[in-house]
Amino acid sequence: MTKNSTNKKRRVHFDPDNVDIVVEEGASLLGTAIAAGVHIYADCGGAGVCGTCKVLIKEGEVESTRTEKLSDEEYERGFRQACQSRVITDLEVFVPVESRLEVGALARERSADWEISKKVAATSQKLETLATEWTFNPPISKLFLELTPPTLANNVSDLTRLLRGLKERYNLNNLSVDFNVVKKMARVLREGNWKVTVTTLVTEPKTGSNGERSSILTNIEPRDTRRRFYSLAFDIGTTAVRAQLIDLNRGKVQADGIQYNRQISYGGDVITRINYCKQPDGLTTLQQAVVGTMNELINDLLRQFRIKRENIYHIVVAGNTTMMQFLLGLEPEFLRLHPYVPTINIPPLVKANSLGLEVGEHVYLYALPSVASYVGADIVSGIIGTGVYQRRKLTLYVDIGTNGEIVVGNSDWMVSASCSAGPAFEGGGVKHGMIATQGAIEGFEVNPSNLEPTIEVIGNTKPKGICGSGLVNITAKLLEAGGIGQDGKFKTDLPTKRIREGVDGYEYVLCWAPETQINEDIVITEVDLDNLIRAKGAMYAGYKTLIKSVGLASADLEQVIIAGALGSHLDIENAIFIGLFPDIPRDRYIFIGNGSLLGARLTSFSTDMLDAGAKVAGMMTNFELSERTDFNNNYIAALFLPHTNIDDFPSVKEKLAKPQKN
Amino acid sequence: MVFEIPKTSYTGKVREIKVGKGDKSVTVGGETAYPFYLFEGEMPHLPKIAMEVWDSPPAEWAEAALEPFLGVTDDPVAWAKKCINDYGAEMIALQLVSTDPNGLDRGADEAAEVVKKVADAIDVPLIVWGTANHEKDTEVLRRVCELCQGKNLIIGPTEEGDHKKIGASAIGYHHTLIASTPIDINLAKQLNILLGNLGVPDEQIMIDPTVSGIGYGIEYCFSVMERMRMAGLTQQDEKLQFPIVCNISKEVWKIKEVHIPTEEDPSLGDAKKRGILIEAISAMVLLLAGGDVLIMRHPEAIKLVRDMVAELTAS
Repeated sequence: MTKNSTNKKRRVHFDPDNVDIVVEEGASLLGTAIAAGVHIYADCGGAGVCGTCKVLIKEGEVESTRTEKLSDEEYERGFRQACQSRVITDLEVFVPVESRLEVGALARERSADWEISKKVAATSQKLETLATEWTFNPPISKLFLELTPPTLANNVSDLTRLLRGLKERYNLNNLSVDFNVVKKMARVLREGNWKVTVTTLVTEPKTGSNGERSSILTNIEPRDTRRRFYSLAFDIGTTAVRAQLIDLNRGKVQADGIQYNRQISYGGDVITRINYCKQPDGLTTLQQAVVGTMNELINDLLRQFRIKRENIYHIVVAGNTTMMQFLLGLEPEFLRLHPYVPTINIPPLVKANSLGLEVGEHVYLYALPSVASYVGADIVSGIIGTGVYQRRKLTLYVDIGTNGEIVVGNSDWMVSASCSAGPAFEGGGVKHGMIATQGAIEGFEVNPSNLEPTIEVIGNTKPKGICGSGLVNITAKLLEAGGIGQDGKFKTDLPTKRIREGVDGYEYVLCWAPETQINEDIVITEVDLDNLIRAKGAMYAGYKTLIKSVGLASADLEQVIIAGALGSHLDIENAIFIGLFPDIPRDRYIFIGNGSLLGARLTSFSTDMLDAGAKVAGMMTNFELSERTDFNNNYIAALFLPHTNIDDFPSVKEKLAKPQKN
Repeated sequence: MVFEIPKTSYTGKVREIKVGKGDKSVTVGGETAYPFYLFEGEMPHLPKIAMEVWDSPPAEWAEAALEPFLGVTDDPVAWAKKCINDYGAEMIALQLVSTDPNGLDRGADEAAEVVKKVADAIDVPLIVWGTANHEKDTEVLRRVCELCQGKNLIIGPTEEGDHKKIGASAIGYHHTLIASTPIDINLAKQLNILLGNLGVPDEQIMIDPTVSGIGYGIEYCFSVMERMRMAGLTQQDEKLQFPIVCNISKEVWKIKEVHIPTEEDPSLGDAKKRGILIEAISAMVLLLAGGDVLIMRHPEAIKLVRDMVAELTAS
């Protein structure tokens, strides 16, 4: 054996997960972690440029390429970027809290949807923002049936007997039958002593049938099981996957769950992940990563609420087009190449277990339809969930996330566009960024005379990072207090210790190390501010361009619905102050939290929503912003706080006109 | 029915900025209409041409450009005087080429001394142009501001990355600033707002939109300058109502077409004439786009541009 042989086995131990794995010498540390089930945040997909996958090598040796993402101090202490490191000897590795994707012991996000539903219930005006005129008739139904047992005189086949029974009792015709039902029905019928519960699912409308839907018989169970009847709604986000367990008998959400999308280990944004698919088995890897995330959510929800796996009968999924293609295992390459065509807009029903989801083999997965490569089912879902397509009120619907999506219109017409905002709103690409879970700094006030902050942390714990809405609040308050200029650069001559020069240029210390969970100062840097300004600039330029392209102005908007990651926790004044939203009367704004999940849930409740989804996807005209010359101009104009044209923000202009400290 | 020529309705005016000291001080700007639209408004101060002087002998100038300045290129004071006395320069633009950290890297004190000498020796306004290296310009231009207090110089370029420190010096020692941004109307406006926030008075700001010569993207510069004028004159955009400075000669005289000798490619025509024409036509285009001050090099090119201005403004 030569010295450089790569066949030597090395044992790697990861803490705090306390897991061991044996790999070959020379293996990538990031890959080793993923193989061991230790999920590490790797925003750039392992290119070494983001610095989010820092780990501490406690014992042993790695071969590592050092980048400027590690400070001297960190390097000395033994921190390395997992993606840049290869295993040389046996290792003891510690994954620090900020590099960890929290799986298993999952930090449950404050349930935005629930807060919303409370808010919605509170005022009748807000009630209007939910879809109306739908009836509770889930696409999936359970029917109980008592059949006459066969005799020599009445000896038709089991299936014929069953279908006859359904026709007589429920007037059901033209049912197609899932083969899985046929396989088990002989035993099930007899086990239940000819008392059975069958499940039917409406299918896609037949072509040329005037939208009529027929049904498939998807399951048969012995005896009366109608009491146990659940479905799952999912929103597959680029950063996080959210799930709801729905009790279809009572028409209510039983439980909520959220997990980081495990695909993050292969890249923080969709483009990096699409590129990852060029690797051998890349698409399979990503498909399994998201399915794994969903399974973990399913298992978690089932365990917590003591629900048996076989009592899940249906799954509805919404998400952006790329996420849907990953989930369905469809080649994503062409989404990112001119002319940006998706493989499919209206996905056919698919057996959930054929994708790897751990549910009964009778469960079909319904994926909401999408409009274009970058205007996905998540936005269609939000539009149907909020009933925008039902009212004449001119509405701007904005889904804020890594990929910002925008719809303008009403019941007569709709135009849509998407713009790449980057992950800043979800805490990505931000030095101490994180999603809005326990330990995230969200609220922020600052004393203008000495720039001393007051922070508010989700869960009232010690802070460990900053979430997207926190970032917006911090930026707005620092701007108002004169700590940063309209270009998002710190004023460096103020009498405060909190503004100082750090590794990434100037930064502001939100919280000193002893008061944090991570034992280092939590800061917001000029690079973070830059990322936020780009994100909000892209969003603002997006709706400015879209509104203008249909001959309207911001002032014409009768209602603005804000969905997405920032959702309900966003302070509207602060968001307008930094120029994220147009400066129009505040009572036109409505926050709905996760619109995608809302629509998926309503689709679980009502077949009417299936029709609505198809209708909305069909009526939306998509604009490619990258093809419009005024978008870039609007974008550059929006890269300023609040905006280059301050007259578009009269209320901010007034506040900024107060003499600033220099 | 009588045909009436439609007129643009103007709501704004370009700011008048006075630079230099004494009898030969110059006021630029003040337009109330698009460039040379004298049938719609006024152009109280005709565009000015500042002649270029380098603070170190130019090594790579085309022969045609060197010829008018033979014997003075190693002495900025003599060079500036020649421009004024022989070629009637209304302004001088001293390019601090020697301070380039990738070149001679001359120190701030030494460079500022040269500026002071030139400023003392001439009576027309003086533009001082750095190297667009933020650290170096901050050092050099601040020293220049200090040493030449009271001269009311025009100092540039100030960019987003160095505007705070240079801006503070310009306020303190009262010089006019050239706010420089890379060919974008929004970036130009943003820098002007930042300078305003810093406390630079509106009477001490000019815009450098970044320009290039014909054949090298001048259409883009034209469009950006035109839009600045539209915003300032018809859309009441106060932050774009500043005079525009075009540092054009440095751009045109470095392109390959002015360096190819006649015999190497006869189809391009006479080398000397070619350089002069490229400079002159580029300058004319920029004047039509809204330039208020042009930095130019060749006396014959300057003469052609002056002729054009005279013709366009003849009553």
